[in-house]
Amino acid sequence: MAQRVLLCIGTKKGLFVAESATARRRFTLRGPFGPGVVVYAALIDTRGSPRIYFSSCNAFFGTKVLRSTNLGKSFAETKSAPAFPAGDGRALANIWALEAGDDRRDLWCGVEPASLFRSADGGDSWEMVQGISNHEHARKWQPGNGGLCLHTILRDGKRMHIGISTGGHYVSQDGGSTFRESNKGIGAAYSPVQFPEFGQCVHKIARNEKAPGRLYMQNHGGDPNLPGIGVLRSDDHGKSWRQISKGLPSDFGFPIVVHPHDPDTVYVMPHEGMTRTCPGGAPAVWRSEDGGGSWSRLAKGFPKKESFFTVQRDGMAIDPLPTPALYFGTTTGQLWMGRDGGEQWTCLFDSLPPIHCVKVGVV
Amino acid sequence: MATIRIPTQLRRYCGGLAELRLASADVRTALGEIEKCHPALYRCICDEAGSVRRHVNVFVNQDNIRDRDGPDTPLAEKDVVTILPAVSGG
Repeated sequence: MAQRVLLCIGTKKGLFVAESATARRRFTLRGPFGPGVVVYAALIDTRGSPRIYFSSCNAFFGTKVLRSTNLGKSFAETKSAPAFPAGDGRALANIWALEAGDDRRDLWCGVEPASLFRSADGGDSWEMVQGISNHEHARKWQPGNGGLCLHTILRDGKRMHIGISTGGHYVSQDGGSTFRESNKGIGAAYSPVQFPEFGQCVHKIARNEKAPGRLYMQNHGGDPNLPGIGVLRSDDHGKSWRQISKGLPSDFGFPIVVHPHDPDTVYVMPHEGMTRTCPGGAPAVWRSEDGGGSWSRLAKGFPKKESFFTVQRDGMAIDPLPTPALYFGTTTGQLWMGRDGGEQWTCLFDSLPPIHCVKVGVV
Repeated sequence: MATIRIPTQLRRYCGGLAELRLASADVRTALGEIEKCHPALYRCICDEAGSVRRHVNVFVNQDNIRDRDGPDTPLAEKDVVTILPAVSGG
């Protein structure tokens, strides 16, 4: 069977799956799956026979994990969702991250309130990862407007990076048994200590898998009292971070995405700090091809004015094809695709429910 | 025995049953019985900390247990416990 591009679009009203040939000329849409229920996390797991997972945060009956083994044509609930152990006192409020683990059925899951879970059986059972979930800082982390969420899980052999809003960046060197905060250079404008040990409102962390020492971060910027802290880069596996916001119209934003074949190419979606929408009502993705040294504006195909949407932290993705396309979903329900690495933008779907996450895979 | 009415949306978590019959002295005990017999159903009604979910209402006859003694609301022989999702929009 020829390769297909799959998009998983997590919305306020369920998950949509869009599919196309690799030319990406026309996408067909199916769904919603988990209809009527908000979706903040999805995973297209391409290890072996592809599987798709998504979280379904039912305001009435709790959060579930759903799984598809037929490329998103149908989904069924896994046998259980992550749950805090008896006596812990916390209760699962949402799932913000689903990531593939080492072997075929190994999964990682970041949740709200900020904690990490692992499944060894493809999502049918889950165990809380104590090292971060019961970290000595855990009861001091504070929720941001989106809730206290563990939203980023990046793995590199035994090394694991975790992003928490509002908690900061934590690293494990032993496969997830123990974690240490690693926030040198990451600012927090809302804190009396501008560069605290932990407690930063990290929005998203991204990297190219082939260059795991180079990390990029969209941090909570947009504050005139501490300009430049919003977009950061690390070249030492996250031990230290430096600002790369110069040249952007705003250092506030939520997603950050790295080119799959070039670790120097990184994309952000700047928003105004106050409104958290596109500066001047004119949407643009900004790209750096020199690791954040300079930035260029990508806006061909976007409205030039009167466009005030938000792109959330997991709302932007890039496919792994030789000439990759970028995708992002908006809180106003548009799904955009930027061909040639964002050079030319097309609205694929313009009337979906508010979009929380976009994931792309080639299967 | 009290009758526990299961809303349509949750019947798939208890083999399609519309009702359960339980000899329980109070709602808490009844929920505990549900947890033993139908753990997936229980998890839809209560979170892992044991609280009835915020947007789920449990009635004993016509009374919301939040207006009586919460999960300690007693159950009598012919009481009907109705579990319903709360009204909502958006």
